[in-house]
Amino acid sequence: MKFVAITACPTGIAHTYMAAEALELAAKEMSVEIKVETQGSVGAENVLTEQDIAEAKAVIIAADTNVSKERFAGKPVLEVGVQEAIKDAKSVIEKAKTAKVSLQEEVNAIKSERKAQQKGPYKHLMTGVSYMIPFVVAGGIAIALSFAFGIKAFENEGTLAAALMQIGGGSAFALMVPILAGFIAYSIADRPGLVPGMVGGMISGQIGAGFLGGIIAGFIAGYTVDFLKKNIKLPKSMDGLMPVLILPLLSSLIVGLSMIYIIGKPVSALNKGMSNWLTSLSSGNAAILGLVLGLMMAFDMGGPVNKAAYTFAVGLLGSGIQAPMAAVMAAGMTPPLGLALATVIAKNKFTRQEIEAGKAAWALGISFITEGAIPFAAADPIRVIPSIMVGSGITGALSMLFKAKLAVPHGGIFVLPIPNAVTNLGLYFVSIIVGTIVTAIMISVLKKDLETEKEKESEKITA
Amino acid sequence: MNISELISKELISLDLQADTKAELINEMVELLDQNGRLSDKDAFEKAVLEREKTYSTGIGMGIAIPHGKSAGVKKASIAFGRKNKGIDFDSLDGKPAKMFFLIAVPEASNDVHLKILSKLSRSLMHEQTRKALMEANEAQDIINILLEEIK
Repeated sequence: MKFVAITACPTGIAHTYMAAEALELAAKEMSVEIKVETQGSVGAENVLTEQDIAEAKAVIIAADTNVSKERFAGKPVLEVGVQEAIKDAKSVIEKAKTAKVSLQEEVNAIKSERKAQQKGPYKHLMTGVSYMIPFVVAGGIAIALSFAFGIKAFENEGTLAAALMQIGGGSAFALMVPILAGFIAYSIADRPGLVPGMVGGMISGQIGAGFLGGIIAGFIAGYTVDFLKKNIKLPKSMDGLMPVLILPLLSSLIVGLSMIYIIGKPVSALNKGMSNWLTSLSSGNAAILGLVLGLMMAFDMGGPVNKAAYTFAVGLLGSGIQAPMAAVMAAGMTPPLGLALATVIAKNKFTRQEIEAGKAAWALGISFITEGAIPFAAADPIRVIPSIMVGSGITGALSMLFKAKLAVPHGGIFVLPIPNAVTNLGLYFVSIIVGTIVTAIMISVLKKDLETEKEKESEKITA
Repeated sequence: MNISELISKELISLDLQADTKAELINEMVELLDQNGRLSDKDAFEKAVLEREKTYSTGIGMGIAIPHGKSAGVKKASIAFGRKNKGIDFDSLDGKPAKMFFLIAVPEASNDVHLKILSKLSRSLMHEQTRKALMEANEAQDIINILLEEIK
């Protein structure tokens, strides 16, 4: 039985190495194999190789600092303080023997690690999008509820349908682009970015430049404020005027004027053109768009390509175009669902831990957390990623073909019961189920039997 | 390059006077300072106490390894102290600590020194090392044991 471990402590001078030695001594005594990577002040030593990790039964992380877990996707990980390993290394190894993979925890860890790695414009855009999403969810559901009284019910003033539309369409959706632009700028330039960003986003909505215009406004606002902050030098006594008067006024003028006189027209033309094209898609083109969006959703499971497809679809919701959103959500659900199904129909191709993780993958799938597929993909990328891409591509294409529409950008299966959140609910389900089955079948065909590897493992245990 | 660059007989005290953790750290910092290993005694002592706040460096088994990285350190050094009666060092195992390694590392430390320190830390996990250090009668014996353990 082999384990791998990482030890790390705040100064990286002493405890890191004592913990490593303690683990090695204990392993020798218990006659198990262990390789310990020390992340101390000299840097990482005795670095674990991919093969070490693949051979290990479990990973022990004995650390009081942040240790990246990305390398250990799909492995049972036991985390303890560095002191615990020094004090009682034997029981740490004992615990590691029964450590389990918690898919949910692992996925959360991957998500936050990815977030921390986001950099530059991509990070700013994602910050804006993440602030915007709740507005779109609340607004989308309110609009869907209004439609439940009849598609034109909101036109009668004073009715509940009209009130719901005012909440959803009139307010939450109207705030969507300003919030997006505002928080892109906020991410770039902190608080002073908010004013020109939101003003620019508001203008973008008014002149029909929509979501695209909002993104541009947000970036211009952020970088403008950044520039002004660095280049305007005031006497100390007037410093207080910067955040309340000078920065907001100058930056709003710059952003507002450039939106109205320079950027507005071409972007709103582009926006209109795209809307027209998307609303008049032939079924063939619609299916191709769905296919492409689906492939993107599965390609990096929550990474930049996935987020590009997702952001595109969410942006269209603001212009009332809902079919791509449906395709994107469905295609984002099938990778974990397909893998979950694969662990059921092809048990002999997955490790016991993966089969266990498969159960959690169902829950992640129906919640539209595409990242749920990552641990499986990390363990066997060459077979898993193409399979989930094909499944998601088919689901996306079918969803577009069936003209399914989705008014809400998140929530997975839990938003579907809301009246009018989805049109063509029945066929929408069909598209998700077909993609799930295709993914599962492809994986079971492509993946090799584990039989031989399992035998090896049991031989090792008896030996 | 071996551990004798980091420690010398003058940096070893087999009969520490201190009765509390704070006194002990102070006494050993003094030892380093008197032998010209520090440029800013207070800064280094502060770094050691700061580190101690994260959690005690009393690792149990009678050993504590207070340490600090500070610009107040001239060159990487180790002071060794023993107090056979033992003092309360908030150790992991709750027992008194009897042997102390105070490790001083300059801000820009060279890897060779750090590697030696890492080997020292590892060797302290071995029972026979601890026993030998506890039973040594002379400062030179301590150095010989360390030389033997850390090659």
